[in-house]
Amino acid sequence: MSQHPSRRDNVALTPYAFLAPALIITGLVVLVPALRTFWMSLQDLILYRPDAARFIGLGNFVRAFGDEVFWISLRQSLLWIVLAVGLQFLLGFATALLLNQSFWWRSVARALIVIPWALPSVIIGLMWTWMYDFNLGVLNDMLLRLGLIARPVAWLADPDLAFYCVVLTLVWQGFPFFAVTILAGLQSIPADQLEAAEIDGATRWQRLRHVTIPGLADIIMTALLLRIIWVANSLDVILLMTGGGPGYATHTLPLYAFQKAYSAMEYGYGAALAVILTALLMAVVMGYVRRSSRGIAT
Amino acid sequence: MTNTMQDAGMSRRKAAKVIAGAALGAGLARPAIAQAVTVRWWYHFDNPQHSPAELIAKFEKEHPGIKVQAESIPWGGGNDYATRMFAAVIANNAPDCALVKISNQARLLEMRALHPIDDMVRGWSARSDIADDVWRVNRGADGKQYYLPIQYVVLYLYYRADLLQQAGLQPPRTFDDFLAAAKATTKGDVYGFGMRGGGGGHDHWGSFVLGAGANFDKGGMVNAQALAANRWFVNLHREHKVLPPSAPTDGFRQIVDGFKAGRTAMTIHHIGSANEMVQALGDRVSAVPVPRSPQGTGWTSFGDESNAIFASSRNKEAAFRWIAFLSTAENNVAFNKLTGQLTITTSGSRTWDLHPQRFVDATSQSLPIATVLPDRPQTPDFTRTVWPTNMQRALLGQISPDEMMQTIEKHFNG
Repeated sequence: MSQHPSRRDNVALTPYAFLAPALIITGLVVLVPALRTFWMSLQDLILYRPDAARFIGLGNFVRAFGDEVFWISLRQSLLWIVLAVGLQFLLGFATALLLNQSFWWRSVARALIVIPWALPSVIIGLMWTWMYDFNLGVLNDMLLRLGLIARPVAWLADPDLAFYCVVLTLVWQGFPFFAVTILAGLQSIPADQLEAAEIDGATRWQRLRHVTIPGLADIIMTALLLRIIWVANSLDVILLMTGGGPGYATHTLPLYAFQKAYSAMEYGYGAALAVILTALLMAVVMGYVRRSSRGIAT
Repeated sequence: MTNTMQDAGMSRRKAAKVIAGAALGAGLARPAIAQAVTVRWWYHFDNPQHSPAELIAKFEKEHPGIKVQAESIPWGGGNDYATRMFAAVIANNAPDCALVKISNQARLLEMRALHPIDDMVRGWSARSDIADDVWRVNRGADGKQYYLPIQYVVLYLYYRADLLQQAGLQPPRTFDDFLAAAKATTKGDVYGFGMRGGGGGHDHWGSFVLGAGANFDKGGMVNAQALAANRWFVNLHREHKVLPPSAPTDGFRQIVDGFKAGRTAMTIHHIGSANEMVQALGDRVSAVPVPRSPQGTGWTSFGDESNAIFASSRNKEAAFRWIAFLSTAENNVAFNKLTGQLTITTSGSRTWDLHPQRFVDATSQSLPIATVLPDRPQTPDFTRTVWPTNMQRALLGQISPDEMMQTIEKHFNG
């Protein structure tokens, strides 16, 4: 029996050799921190008392499930995802359909539509905070001039409004992602299919329902899954606009984890909250992975 | 113990002696640094267009063996800056020295991140140009000196002189005066008091609740006096409606811009915003110390800022020369012209001309009641999260004022 690897073995190993650098780097920058976060979540670790850290098993998770603010944050996270992603999708889809029409300034419109997506979240948060401002905000000014309100509204200080105001900001920031992605998909739908449907007497709605949307299904699903993951994790705009307030009105799970880690310096508890969020998102992530690997499997 | 600034002038020394000492500086009185070293220093300026480059050039010219690498760190209401500092310490990547506040000293000491500078200060000829009270306020809980003071501000009450005059009222000196003035000036789109309910607003609350006797010792937030004071404060919004509806989440910019735009008649801030207030309102804006309680007690925030040397620094001697340079006479004046705060040196304060005198007076008149929050590990979380969240909930009626105080008591004393 030969001691040397056969040519067949070498061929079988070659893909792994090519993948190894990417796998090693991914392991170092993703897997190691993720495992470390999980390990941290099992400890009572306060950053400014690193020597007093102790292993408490699932203690942080038990604490979370008995924590009123955790449940408030979780509930609002779900609402945040449904509203923000849902509205971004609807607005993005409508925008893509419009941008797919022929008009003389279409290329300019396509460039302009990307601006909210291209702006840093910090700029967006500050810009919208001042637009909503009670004293000097343009929103109150316009509504007052139009006679739609009698007195200025404290948009971000009203617990019944603040959450939806922040959602609206995120919708404005995120809809171009859907618009651009769906627009690319629209252009890949063969024109002859639409023409054939039109010749067959299909109405505009029927063409959209039976030709366009099925043709975009893959793109829409992938875009939705990606956006759910991003929106579920995002806290920058909320942090800038309200800091989670007033009270707990705009608390979401990542924001609460951030506050526990960076304000209270309770890294153990903050890590546990992050692990719970990760576990909840895992279903979405698995869906995305399954979709993105479907082409590879076949 | 309360670290009040009872008499800012009592430890002043002769200006000539101080300036002579300052001219010698820390560097000239000590042996030269043998090898060229680079001192990493973290700072923050409110105005990003300001730069310490000229001060650094001057220092490097006077100290040829030392280079200063100044790193501007985002302030973010103090939270961002402090978080980066703690993270840098944990990651063993702290700078040699940095601007620091008393409220973070306990945490930094618990992390054993600071280097005591008692010996260095002892040999520093310009140390007497900083008042003894300031040294005392900045001393660590273990009695050692870790902080070298560089600037300060004291919060006072800005008021619209014209609006109070129209109402036939004097600037408020007591809580009752304040409430009367707030009610009288709340008309139409104008509200009596621009209260800061967002991050950093604990200073506003402190003037009325800590000023009336609440404190951070065990039981200090839930005794009858403290609870009554907090109810009174919350009722400014709930009952008297003299705060703008946006008050629960208003931050620094909102209260300053609201006041400048004539939407509020009074607010609380420090001299750092005096020039922009005057630019917008001219002589219609003035200032007095925050009002006192019926018992005559009062509280206002002493906004400290110092430099500290980190224990991990390999260039402690050079770092001290740099931070001593910044706290010395005319260098300190130049530094504070960049930050808009007040010089820590008694010699520099004699010739201070950056702000109109009435605001300098309001600052010095506030010193007897000026103090800092307790130097405890819970304090940063109190100012960043616990206070804003619970204050907002109380202002919005989601919890009672008493429940808010019970939460604060629990945060500090379990």
